[in-house]
Amino acid sequence: MGKSKRYEYDYEQYENGKGPKTMIDDILADPDFSQVTDVTIGSWGSAWEDNCQKILDDIADNKDKFAHVQQLFVGDMDYEDCEVSWIMQGNYGRLWKALPGLKELTIKGSTDLSLGEVEHENLEALTIICGGLPVSVLEEIQKAKLPNLKKLVLYIGVENYGFDGDEDTIRTFLEKSDFPKLTHLGIEDSEIQDQLTQVVLESKYMGQIHTLDLANGTLTDKGGALLLEKIPSYPNIKVLDIHYHYLSDTMAQQLKGLPIQVDVSEANEPEEYDGEIWMDAMLTE
Amino acid sequence: MSRLILLGNPETKRAVYLKKGAEKAGVEVEVLDWRKFPQNFEETDFQEEEIFLKIDPPSWNSCCLEELDRLVSEYEGNLDYIAASPGSKRITFLNHPQGIKELLDKRGCKRRLKEAGIPVTEEIETESGTSAAFRRGSQYPLTEQLLEAMERQKAFQVFIKPDHGSGAAGVMAFRYEPRKGQTALYTCAAKEPATGRLVNTRRLRRFTDRQKVCSMVEGLLRSDCIVERWYAKAEHKGFSYDLRAVVQDGEIDFMLARLSAGPITNLQLNNHPLGAEELGLSSAVKSQVEQICRQAAGCWPSLRSVGVDILLERGSLRPRIIEMNGQGDLIYQDIYGENKIYCRQAKMMKRWQQGEEIR
Repeated sequence: MGKSKRYEYDYEQYENGKGPKTMIDDILADPDFSQVTDVTIGSWGSAWEDNCQKILDDIADNKDKFAHVQQLFVGDMDYEDCEVSWIMQGNYGRLWKALPGLKELTIKGSTDLSLGEVEHENLEALTIICGGLPVSVLEEIQKAKLPNLKKLVLYIGVENYGFDGDEDTIRTFLEKSDFPKLTHLGIEDSEIQDQLTQVVLESKYMGQIHTLDLANGTLTDKGGALLLEKIPSYPNIKVLDIHYHYLSDTMAQQLKGLPIQVDVSEANEPEEYDGEIWMDAMLTE
Repeated sequence: MSRLILLGNPETKRAVYLKKGAEKAGVEVEVLDWRKFPQNFEETDFQEEEIFLKIDPPSWNSCCLEELDRLVSEYEGNLDYIAASPGSKRITFLNHPQGIKELLDKRGCKRRLKEAGIPVTEEIETESGTSAAFRRGSQYPLTEQLLEAMERQKAFQVFIKPDHGSGAAGVMAFRYEPRKGQTALYTCAAKEPATGRLVNTRRLRRFTDRQKVCSMVEGLLRSDCIVERWYAKAEHKGFSYDLRAVVQDGEIDFMLARLSAGPITNLQLNNHPLGAEELGLSSAVKSQVEQICRQAAGCWPSLRSVGVDILLERGSLRPRIIEMNGQGDLIYQDIYGENKIYCRQAKMMKRWQQGEEIR
């Protein structure tokens, strides 16, 4: 079994000149690296200032040395390292051909993110964590040729931080994309989570997935009622993940009563301010 | 005759659990109520009696930061009063009031630790390089000065704290991205709509509107504060954490990790504690942490019990002292468990009463 390893720079390393330019050299110099199949790249020192393009290019340029890597996470940073919306991502276009053995790719941050022309025979999981997913990236995934993709998780986020679409964008995305082996669909972290719940419930993937992930958004009883009504007609669905939500206790209990595994943890209360009701998705920056 | 006295608040956990410890050790601790200070203190006969005195912090109810400034200042006056009282030379203090006061000053504490070669979370220096204190009353917007200092020192994320505050009161975690001029601020402080004063709340909020962020930062910089680098903290199961150690008589009696889903780890913010042993730290890291805690405590020989907050840098797990507290001995996980911290204090008191030498 392969190993997991995280590579990142702390403040002193950054002060001493470490950055995107040195990251891949340092990874390749790690004596453990030939055994590491699960690579996580955290802070590259100045993620708000320097994008990770050099890291991505260096992986592509050293593709033979990365051939054993099956899982790659680029940008695993939290509030301690960098605002998610400030993480400067890059263009992943060259990676698809460079890493034919890659099975899982996770990307955090959507600023300057581009996936390029996505075509990969073996990729099984793609996750994008961000506060706002640009339509341009959604369209790249929509056109992607990923015949073995089993898990797709997309944080939709909010307009202020890059989501320039609406529920129709997601409807089109679900209609036009083609992932014949998809079993886990996550359309999460949205401020229009109720609308997106309806869109997902009407999508073609409902007949094939076993995990429906609508977590981290502003799901209210409106979306909850739709789930309660529709889920029983899909016996293929075994897991419903709606943790972090704005459901009432009654609705949460009813959903928990479905004969499948349901995660309704992290209940939130809407806030009232100046006569208006405010609800936030989990990651909105 | 010898007496063991706690100057504190009789109904607080601090007093109750010290008394439990005392009972276990077979000694009796009297409580002088802060609310009756200084009359009760003056009535105590320090000239004729042998007295061992522990000083607890007074209870404060205000959440207004300006008011907290005033209360701390008043408290410092009381500590001076005790230290200068005619009987004080005859008192054996658990923690000398002067030492307690020194640790209330975060900058002073940090300065002494640095002089002793102990790694600390570094301050951001002003242009003159003399102090991180962004001075009260300057005409030049202090936030602009801070942004310049951050750029100059390539420190794009900082903590701004009231120099004499405690807990998370008024603490701001501030981040600045110079290229686009973006700002982000995490704080429990909020502006009171009616008065515009900064008040402390128990909820961590995030602000990004530059004008609002700068206005809040300016408000805090105009008070006496310390600005220090915000180092990415170590992470455990998705939560960042720092450590609180209680060092007494040169021994580490308790060490706790304070886990948080936000950059401010104070336990009053509904963050959760975890026994440090559950972090799975290597023995090398543990030993480094213990060593700097002992060294730090050793810088204040007049304090027999100190709380030390330690940051472990993410990745390298390099420890740095964030701050210290001469009254940082209340740890709920301890009082509801072994009550080791107060039991040790009670044992010190007993040894003193029996005429044994204590450190």
